Amino acid sequence: MTERNLRWRLAPLWSLVSLLLLVYVVTLVNSFLGESVQVQMQYALVNLVIVVALYMFIGTSGVLSFGHVAFVALGAWTVGLLTIEPTLKRNLLSDMFPFLFDVQAPWLIAVLIGGLVGGLLAVLVGPVLMRLNGLQAGIATFALLLVVGQVLTYWSSIGPRSGQSMVGIPQVLDLQTTMLLAMATIVVAWLFQRTRPARLLRAAREDGIAAAASGINIVTQRTIAFALSGVVAGVAGGLFALTNRVVQASLFGIELTFITLAMLVLGGMLSLSGAVVGALVFSLIDLVLVRLQNGLEIGAFVVSIPQGSRPIILGVLLILMLIFRPSGLTGGREIVWPFRARAPLPGVPPTNE
Amino acid sequence: MNQLIQSLVDALSSGATLGLAALAIGLVFGVIRLANFAQGEIITASAYSIIFTWQLGWYVAIPIALIIGIILSLLMEVGVFSRMRTATPATLLVASFALSFLLQRVYELLFTNNVQTAPVAPELARSISLGGIRVQMLSVATILIAGLLLFGLIQFLNKSIWGLQLQAAAADFRTARLVGIPASRVIGLSFVLSGVLAAAVAFVSTVKTGAVGPTFGIPIVVLALIGAVIGGIDKIYGALAGGFLVGFATSMLASWLPSDMSNFKDAFVFLLVIIVLIIRPSGLLVRGGTVRT
Repeated sequence: MTERNLRWRLAPLWSLVSLLLLVYVVTLVNSFLGESVQVQMQYALVNLVIVVALYMFIGTSGVLSFGHVAFVALGAWTVGLLTIEPTLKRNLLSDMFPFLFDVQAPWLIAVLIGGLVGGLLAVLVGPVLMRLNGLQAGIATFALLLVVGQVLTYWSSIGPRSGQSMVGIPQVLDLQTTMLLAMATIVVAWLFQRTRPARLLRAAREDGIAAAASGINIVTQRTIAFALSGVVAGVAGGLFALTNRVVQASLFGIELTFITLAMLVLGGMLSLSGAVVGALVFSLIDLVLVRLQNGLEIGAFVVSIPQGSRPIILGVLLILMLIFRPSGLTGGREIVWPFRARAPLPGVPPTNE
Repeated sequence: MNQLIQSLVDALSSGATLGLAALAIGLVFGVIRLANFAQGEIITASAYSIIFTWQLGWYVAIPIALIIGIILSLLMEVGVFSRMRTATPATLLVASFALSFLLQRVYELLFTNNVQTAPVAPELARSISLGGIRVQMLSVATILIAGLLLFGLIQFLNKSIWGLQLQAAAADFRTARLVGIPASRVIGLSFVLSGVLAAAVAFVSTVKTGAVGPTFGIPIVVLALIGAVIGGIDKIYGALAGGFLVGFATSMLASWLPSDMSNFKDAFVFLLVIIVLIIRPSGLLVRGGTVRT
């Protein structure tokens, strides 16, 4: 194997390694900055997993989904039901189906089951929803989010009564474990990118008519991606439950949908690097703004911004981003090996730059 | 029988309100492919102004609400959406989400998270007897207001040059420009009209609730947007009919679902929406063809 050939083969692997390194370094730096920052970092990592799930579907298929937070909600619900002490469940969630009182699972198993439940819903609704395009797909998935939200809020046979929340989820998840699980989902998304369904979907994203004419069954391929991203979103929901330790249907609504979608758009929704970079950058800006809101001492000066201005600044940044760089920070590209000129593809003459 | 007529009147008024809100979304979408989620925040702004100025008299409060609705609507266009002309409808929708989120936080900062209350048009909050049947005065008033507004709007759209230009642009923007219709005029006009409609929706909603908080417009715009899409957001009257249908269905379900199911009324409406979208993706009232995206 020639050197050029080898480099060409390793290039995609570098895009994965660099993302894992990035997550590791950011988590490591933040873990030295005190307990409150550590807690925020853990939430940031959970959001990162949601954004990766969004990328797996939206980025590959080019179809907008506002429904993934429904899968997140199901994952969180499942983990809540499987990890709260049976006696506590009997007392607090007394309206539930009796068999739910006794089911228990270790937290990691519970998270995986949460993923499966999320994926199951995606498989059930996928064949129907995946026939829609553009705005219609957005609205239909949005309706799915609202249906799931309503059912979880009001159906007390599978959870708390409306307005109440599930409490008593054990504290088992630390920052390091969260980071490792977030890295694992990045690896899963990276592997998925290289599979046949993902390649077919990207072809369909670029030109739906040509793809269909080439014999690609777009609905099937989209359903596969939807189901897999549903599993990842369910896992993210499980991690959210273990991080927040209180689960309530109102947490999984329009706001979480908007924030995670904003992270994806910020990074660039057409690449995995975009998803990861977007989630991290958004969270870091947020972290700095929280600090500023509480007054940040730089030397002899205290820099501060008014209370409540944090979400406003985030919103303005996002709108500016959409206006001036709609393809996101990464522009829809993956991170490439930075130290040498990019290896030209076989058969493509090198360009002079 | 009596109860049926009461629920029908309520459903008509709720349908009329959402029909107006959906029409506002459809007017803008037809011209620049923007499904404006931040329409809800225009409604909220007008509603705040009605709450704060009602004590000065309706002849002050209503013009101010209209002006605020129009100005905010135009500001959105000039400040944000006019700079995103080449973006896809999906990106525009995300941008309007961002704008909606941003404005909610601004309202929170300005008026706190608590609701602001004032009795708006208390004389409308009674029920009256029409031929032995008691109906909500407000429901009748809402139907009248929506009817008048629609009549005026339809006259404007069909009889005036500007209205016809707007319809032409909504049907096919590119061709309309080719035949010399000024783009900036029709775009501006669609935003002005959506501001007017937002103020009307704000008025009937504030009379109903008497209280306005930062997220006042969200439930309205969610249902209106969904209605516009299932009716056919590409066509002005499709959006209107879709919004009406969603409002009508929600209200009827609220009246007639058994009480242990009534919490799930919205869930039923959304399920209905998914089914309609699957059967008629380009909209209930759109014959053949697909929505340009």
